Amino acid sequence: MRALDLAQAALLAARADEADALAQVERSGLARFAGSRVHQPTLVTNESVSIRLVRDGRVGTAATNRTDPDGLQALVDRAAAAADRSPADPGFPGLPARVKIPEVEGWDSDTAALPPSEQADRAWAAISAVNGFGAFGYFTSGKVETAVASTTGIAAAQSSTDADVLVIAASEDASGFAEATSWKAGELDSEAVACEAAEKAARTRGSGSIDPGTYRAVLEPYAIGELLWYFAFSSLGALAFLEGRSYLSGRLDEAIFDPAFSLFDDGLDPGGLPRAFDFEGVPKQRVTLVDAGIAKDVVWDRRTAGRAGRESTGHALPPSQQAFGPVPFNLSLEPGDATVDELVEGVEDGIYVTRLHYLGVVDPREGIITGMTRDGTFRIEGGRVTRPLGNLRFSTSFPKLAHDLVGLGHEPKLVNLNDYYDERHAFGALVPALATAAFTVVGVGSSPGF
Amino acid sequence: MRALARDAVDAALHAGADYADARAVLRRSQRVATKNGNVDSVSDSETAGIGVRVLVGGCWGFACDPRLSDEGAAEAARRAADFARASAARTETRVSLGPAEPAAGEYRTTVERDPVAVPLEEKIELCLRAEAGLRAESVKVASAVVRAQREERALVTSEGVDVLQEVVECGGGIDALAVDEGVVQIRSYPSAHGGSSAQGGWEYVEGLDLPGNAPRVAEEAAALLRADPCPALETTLVIDHEQMALQVHESVGHPTELDRVQGTEASYAGTSFLHPDDVGRLRYGSERMNVSADPTTPGGLGTFDWDDEGIPAVRTPVVEAGTLTSFLESRETGRGGSMRADGWSRMPLVRMTNLHLEPGSGSLDDLLAEVDDGIYLATNKSWSIDDKRLNFQFGTQIAWEIKRGRLGRMLRDATYTGITPEFWGSLDAVAGREEWRMVGLTNCGKGQPGQHAHVSHGAAPARFRRVTVGPSG
Repeated sequence: MRALDLAQAALLAARADEADALAQVERSGLARFAGSRVHQPTLVTNESVSIRLVRDGRVGTAATNRTDPDGLQALVDRAAAAADRSPADPGFPGLPARVKIPEVEGWDSDTAALPPSEQADRAWAAISAVNGFGAFGYFTSGKVETAVASTTGIAAAQSSTDADVLVIAASEDASGFAEATSWKAGELDSEAVACEAAEKAARTRGSGSIDPGTYRAVLEPYAIGELLWYFAFSSLGALAFLEGRSYLSGRLDEAIFDPAFSLFDDGLDPGGLPRAFDFEGVPKQRVTLVDAGIAKDVVWDRRTAGRAGRESTGHALPPSQQAFGPVPFNLSLEPGDATVDELVEGVEDGIYVTRLHYLGVVDPREGIITGMTRDGTFRIEGGRVTRPLGNLRFSTSFPKLAHDLVGLGHEPKLVNLNDYYDERHAFGALVPALATAAFTVVGVGSSPGF
Repeated sequence: MRALARDAVDAALHAGADYADARAVLRRSQRVATKNGNVDSVSDSETAGIGVRVLVGGCWGFACDPRLSDEGAAEAARRAADFARASAARTETRVSLGPAEPAAGEYRTTVERDPVAVPLEEKIELCLRAEAGLRAESVKVASAVVRAQREERALVTSEGVDVLQEVVECGGGIDALAVDEGVVQIRSYPSAHGGSSAQGGWEYVEGLDLPGNAPRVAEEAAALLRADPCPALETTLVIDHEQMALQVHESVGHPTELDRVQGTEASYAGTSFLHPDDVGRLRYGSERMNVSADPTTPGGLGTFDWDDEGIPAVRTPVVEAGTLTSFLESRETGRGGSMRADGWSRMPLVRMTNLHLEPGSGSLDDLLAEVDDGIYLATNKSWSIDDKRLNFQFGTQIAWEIKRGRLGRMLRDATYTGITPEFWGSLDAVAGREEWRMVGLTNCGKGQPGQHAHVSHGAAPARFRRVTVGPSG
């Protein structure tokens, strides 16, 4: 495998030093469309190597995408210079030892072989299916090799594929959203996604308003996936936990959420976007974050685990980004047994939210997140979805939202959470629809559509 | 690199492109971070490659390759043309480009001391020294960061642009995170979310005086633990230059990007409440509101001689005396001048360059003196705005009551919210040039696949009447 060859070649260039190397090889295409034409089609080819080099407890990291011998030697020289000029790092836990890497799914040869013309065709399939609306979105697929090699004997490698189709069907006075993601492009139906978006859009015309207040609400998987991700990034990693800024700091083993709320991070689940190991080459573990409403744990990398006398759960970021601490990239919320109609019925009087926009964590310690609803917000009255609403500003406590649970849907959906910045690293959350009694609306914004 | 970009454009034309441009980019980035007296990370990265954008049959295609070689240039050009051809077969809409003059030349950031060449041990020592000043009993996490970057970018187009630009930037910042009895507060300097950056030499970082500001930052973080939460009310706000920079960015910069107005960013960053025919007519804010886009500002992260379509840098008023006067544009939307790509592996997009709130007159004290009862807000903590850039909510790290023209008790967890044109309509004063500062942001996201842009905003403290504020909860 090319990525493993690159990682090992970087280690060879490091000669006698203790080191580990992370290599990624990407080939992807994204056919972005707007106003029913493909306007920003992007093909990316890249390969990169980063190395972490350790000399007498001093650590230096460097990265490059010049992967010829000269480039790799320069990479090692820069990492060595960084290590030499740094004081010893007392928090560095040492390089991980070699352990068995689990076998995971996540590679589909048909997806890997999808040519640019097919990526464009799948975009066009979506565009063609949004009858009466403009289509905005993309189809993307890619293949990524990831490898970690170390002087401690790690030689971990994974090839993965991913694909995603996102559609907003919109006009002057309407907009609807739908998205589907998988590591098998064959499981994605661009037309069906476009039809879902168009159907949703058609129901948003003539939107009204509501007063600020705390409402009962049904959140589709798209919305709950985004909320969960922002809560997880701010509260479910060990660094925030140890520094006291996480909602879970000092609250482990407390019954914080509804007993029906159980949350995991599981990179091994073939229903998600599987990962065998993290960016340090540590095997992924399924971590129980919340069990029947009781906060149980956060995710750990080697540095934070070393501080707390724990073991890494396999959630490290690449060395250059480890200042953020470990991150749960494979969230999975246990489903309930209700249909979406039953959730709406259970809410009785409230709002229905398709998706969210521009979230911000206002107070991580209290789990308060603000943002806007978008592309399909409706009023629920008499246990039925009745009329469209404009986009709503909410500022709500995620823990309270998950504490005051009305119900959970029975069908988990894989929600893409990746915006494809920098190197491609597909990740998402497996989440059902959720109904809550505590969704706090603080204002009204624009109407659906342009 | 220019020769390689020329070869790529030739290869694209040979592959059937009607128009082509190529960006060959070599970027080196260093980052040093320390936390609680120890080095948190020392990294030194480089990335290089070539990106080729083409029009075939009036449709765009883009492809890139990490090899700065003839093979890499040719391969990227061929693939870009193929991808464009695949789109052209299905669409009747054809892209047309606004005019562009041929251009040749070089631009280089003026530096006194190359920040990339500053020894790593000096950067580490500065961070450790700055961070040492943050230590206080309730400060649980003291951290400092500095960064340096050099990017060489060659741009060649099939219409006669052939330029090389070398942009050097650096920056830094400090944070004090105070924790006590479940309350968490943070103070930052000179800006939140990684500090502030500028185009220029290491003298910019030295001028920030991170060590000199650390004791004040630590003291304020600790004091916030004991401060009262901001009350919920409608009142007069005075907002510091740093939060104003983000306010300008989110509620003026993004909505005036014409690609958003035309809907081509709808699937990610969103659209705009503005319409193409609003120029010269739309009342954006009060008479005190003057905003300009200026890619010629010395030290700005968005400063260049040519944008990524080869259009020469020109200062453009965006809002004059409260009236919308222009948009940020590409050649596809019209006159161009605001196209920027993140490195070599992304297409250029309409982007802010340096977008400034022009100064008014007087000092911060003068602004405060005319407030009987209000709140002064400083340093961003959280931000969110809707897809049309109308409804926003910002949180700040710190606030103070204003009573009879003077700052009173400290407040924590303040947020304020508003609707963009109503909010700017309530602007009744901007402080003068002596209070005007630039803040450089490196985390502006847009596009699919995602792109980061580095942008600067100059602003002075400003005063707004009848704004809704409240506690974060």
